[in-house]
Formats: sequence, C-alpha cells, structure tokens
Amino acid sequence: MSDFVTLADLTLAYGPTVAVDRLNLSIAQGELIALLGPSGCGKTTTMRAIAGLLPPKSGTITIDGRDVTRLAPAKREVGLVFQSYALFPHLSVYDNVAFGLRLRREPDLDTKVRGGLATVGLADFAARLPADLSGGQQQRVALARSLVMQPKVLLLDEPLSNLDARLRLEMRMELQRVQQETGVTMIFVTHDQAEAMALADRIVLMKDGAIEQIGSPEQIYTAPETGFAADFVGFETILRQDEGGALAWRPGAVVLGSGPHNGTVRGASFAGERREYVLDTPLGVVKADTPVDVPAMKIGQTVAFDLPRDRAVRLARA
Amino acid sequence: MFENRTIGLALTVPAALFAAALFILPVGILLSEAFKGDNGFSLMAYVDFFSSPRNQTVFFRTLKLAGLVAVVSAVVGYAAAFCIVSLPAKSRGRMFGLVTLPLMISPVARTYAWLVILGRTGFVNSMLVNMGITDTPFRILFTETAVFIGLLQLFMPLMIISLVSAMENMPRDAIPAARILGANWFQVFTKVILPLTREGLVVGGTLVFTGSMTAYITPAILGGSKVLMLETLLYQRVTVANDFVAASVIAMILIVMAFSANVLLKQIATARRTRV
Repeated sequence: MSDFVTLADLTLAYGPTVAVDRLNLSIAQGELIALLGPSGCGKTTTMRAIAGLLPPKSGTITIDGRDVTRLAPAKREVGLVFQSYALFPHLSVYDNVAFGLRLRREPDLDTKVRGGLATVGLADFAARLPADLSGGQQQRVALARSLVMQPKVLLLDEPLSNLDARLRLEMRMELQRVQQETGVTMIFVTHDQAEAMALADRIVLMKDGAIEQIGSPEQIYTAPETGFAADFVGFETILRQDEGGALAWRPGAVVLGSGPHNGTVRGASFAGERREYVLDTPLGVVKADTPVDVPAMKIGQTVAFDLPRDRAVRLARA
Repeated sequence: MFENRTIGLALTVPAALFAAALFILPVGILLSEAFKGDNGFSLMAYVDFFSSPRNQTVFFRTLKLAGLVAVVSAVVGYAAAFCIVSLPAKSRGRMFGLVTLPLMISPVARTYAWLVILGRTGFVNSMLVNMGITDTPFRILFTETAVFIGLLQLFMPLMIISLVSAMENMPRDAIPAARILGANWFQVFTKVILPLTREGLVVGGTLVFTGSMTAYITPAILGGSKVLMLETLLYQRVTVANDFVAASVIAMILIVMAFSANVLLKQIATARRTRV
C-alpha cells in the first residue's frame, strides 16, 4: 500500500508563526524517506508533528490506516532518534534500551534488550553509562532504544550530522541494514543532499514550510523542477527564459573558451580536480569549471563561453 | 592565578585569622557553655532542655514547620520550574526575575505586609466576611499557619532557582524521548525529571529547610510569643531570661539539625538502584 503514512493538509505553527503550510505527503510501508532542506524549511517541525510532539494547527496524520492526529506520542507506535540522542544519563545502556519495554510491561524484556543491543553491535556495553560511550555508540544506543519497541515508523533527526566521516559511512550502512532486516518505515531529516541521495528511496525536498519536489534521488539529481531544487543538486547557473520557466546548467556543462557569449571572470578557485569560475555576463551570473589541465584564467579576464541547450535542464520556475 | 601556591595561601591568612578570632572562637565558647557541669563535662543542660514540655513543643514545631515548608516548596517549585524552563528564552528571564523579586525586598517590610494581609481586619478576613463565609474574622496571625505562609513565601524562590538550574542542565529532548517511549507525565516526572534534578532538589531542600529553621524575623512577627520557634525561643532566652546556657543548647541543636538535614538529603539523593 502506498499510503502507510499520510499527511493531509498538515499545517503546523509555533504560536502565530506558521512553520509548515498545508503539506500533503504519502509514504509507503518499508520506504526510506528523506526530508531534505535548509534549516528553517519545516522538516524537523514536520517530523516532530508525526511523532506527536507538536499538535498540528489543522490537517490530519494517519499511520497504518489509523488517524493519530490527536493521539499522545506514546500511542502512535513511532520511534524517534533525536539529533542529540537524548539518552537518559542516569541509566545504564541496558536500562536506556529497556526504558520503553518496562513501561509496556514487556514479558520478554531481557531477550529483547539483549537482542536490540546485539543488533547495533553493543552487546558488551550493557552495564556502561551513556557518558562512557563515544558519540557514535550513543547514537546506536538511541537507535536500539527505538527499535526494540518495534515501531511502525522510525523517525531520525539528522542521524549522521554529529558523526565524523568514517562513522558516517558506518552508520549509513547500519541504517540500511536495519531497514532491510526489520522492514521498518523510516523517515529521516537532513540538510545534506549527499546524505539524502545516498540513503533514501525517495527524497522530499522542502523550502519555506512547503514541499518543493518529491522524487527518487535520481529524479531529483537529474531532473530538478525548480530553481531551488536545481541549485540544491548542483545546477548552479540558472537563467530565466523569456517564454517562461528557466534553464539550468551544472558548472561542468558550461563550455569555456569558445562560444557566442562573453563574460568577465569575477572569481576563480582551485578545487583539486577542477578549477571553478564565477563569470559576470550580460545573461546573469554563470558558474563554470574546467579540468585542471586547462590553463588557469585570471580575475578580470574576458572569456568566451557557451551554454549548450542539450546539457541544460528545463525548470518550471526559477 | 598565583605563580606560587604559598603566596596564595598566605593571602588567606588574614581572613582565616579574622574568622577564627571573631567567629569560631566566640561560637566555640558559647557552645561549650552548655557542656559544663559541676565536675567537668556534662550533658545536663541538654537533658534539662528536652525535659521541659514547652521546649519539646517548640523543637517539634520547628522541625514540622521547616519540613513542611521544604516539602510544599518542592512540590510547588517543580511545577513552577517546569513552566519557567518551558518558556522561550526571553520570557523565561522575565519570569525568573519575578520569582527572585521577593528576595530583593527587605524581610521586615515583606513580613509586615503579611500583617496587613492576614490581620483581623486585613485583606483575607474582610474578603471572607464580605462574601458571607464567616461572621467573625478568622484568627490567622500568631498561628502556625501564619508562620508557615510567611516562611513559604520567603524561601520558595530558593527552591525554584535550584530546580530551574537543575532542569536547564537536563539533556535536551530527554522528556520528549521518554514520552515517545510510552511514559505518561507522572512517569516522565518519576523516571526522568526527578532523578536528573536530584542534586538541585538537595540544594534547594537544604536551603529551604535550614533557612526556615533559622529564620528569626518571620516567626517573630507572624508567630510572636504564641508560636515560638527555636530561633525566637533562643532570642527570648537571652534577652528576657538572660539564660545563656539554654541559648547555647538551642544554638547547638540548630547547627546539628542543619548538618543532619544536609547529610540526610544527600544520602537520599545518591541512593540509586543498580540494575542490569
């Protein structure tokens, strides 16, 4: 079924400030969804509303066919891994993972807790306190604490942002493995497009409290529909067209050194494999790059360039 | 701060001498007064003190009122502190200022205000009479209730301040995390907030309890000689009866009780269940 989780006309506000405006979204069971966007776009607010931490101003939320809009967080069968992990510092790793199960009077408590810790590779850490663990380990405890509750939906707030590069890759694989093993529907929030691309089945790109575009990573990456989406996935030159809409090019698609247009180099920087340029042109600002073996151009220099039509994406709006 | 530790220590000598000569020594002399018997060391003064029913009443009343003020301010304090930390930063500062405001008003002025409010023709009684609840005004002043109200107002801010700072140090999102894992508000309090703010509760509880026990102005004005507390009894012994031995006994009792309260509360706070 394609509407395991549905948000219908969801409007969320902090007092008089509307953070999310009439959002509509359906998520299939077992899907891994990324809510992607810059800070302040409403992605975290949306996630908190799904968890039940923020009552919606209007609209409905359903999970597995049940209207949960007015239900308490505990009754929604969702899990949430906080960006700050939010482990209970006074409880051992074991007691943290057992917290929800104890409240539920789980008869099979010990097996489940040990199983949860084994799933995240922390079986030997049961007696430790959270303060004695590294950030990555703390996050895995938080993950285990949510997973042992067997939630219908697992929400993750910026799950990779506090980890260093190596742990990030590890955690990414861990999340994918957990998702395959448990089949749990996952919604994670991120501001990092590379992270969303690498992990998600489907990306929900958000801006100013509304959805800008929904699609698979490939769709968003190759066929952004708006200027914001295009810029987010690296189409840095966006030019409005007279007939409406806009065209957008990646820096590598811009031809430098020949072509019908002329521009002035305003910025130049060396980026390892490429040289990156910012040009002031009569058409607008153009961002281009060249391989390093092409001789460097100087700031102030006038250069000919071309914007090939066949390498542009067409946008509905700039 | 100092390159040489000895210099640092040397600089504390004047203050240490000052404290020794003008505080520790006189207090020591005063306290030792009550241990003197006909032939050396004796506890007779203490036996005498506690054998008087009136002194017993004052002792237990002081314990009861100080304990009650501590407990009630803890209950109200948790609610107030929770509201304050839930506020946005700007109004939080304003609220916090409002809580600490009573601490900046002279205790004498503040306590006299209670005389106006609680007196026979005061605000509370004229309200009750006008509403027809009673014909004759209630006697509130010079009762334990009046002393309790005065002490509660005086010391509750200290509890709230301690609890607010303890709550601010709780990990962000610990409360929503517990709620999502199935805790109702009562369980959130007993399983997360209480254990994580224990130290604040101990500090606040000690301040309020010892403060209430050793307060003088409030019980003197609102309780008078009808509702004596240890502190007002001490003053009475010295000024009216010129009985320095009894005063010394009371002083010792107050010191011992303050320390015991602190130790006891710390014990409660550090007692934790270990379970794996």
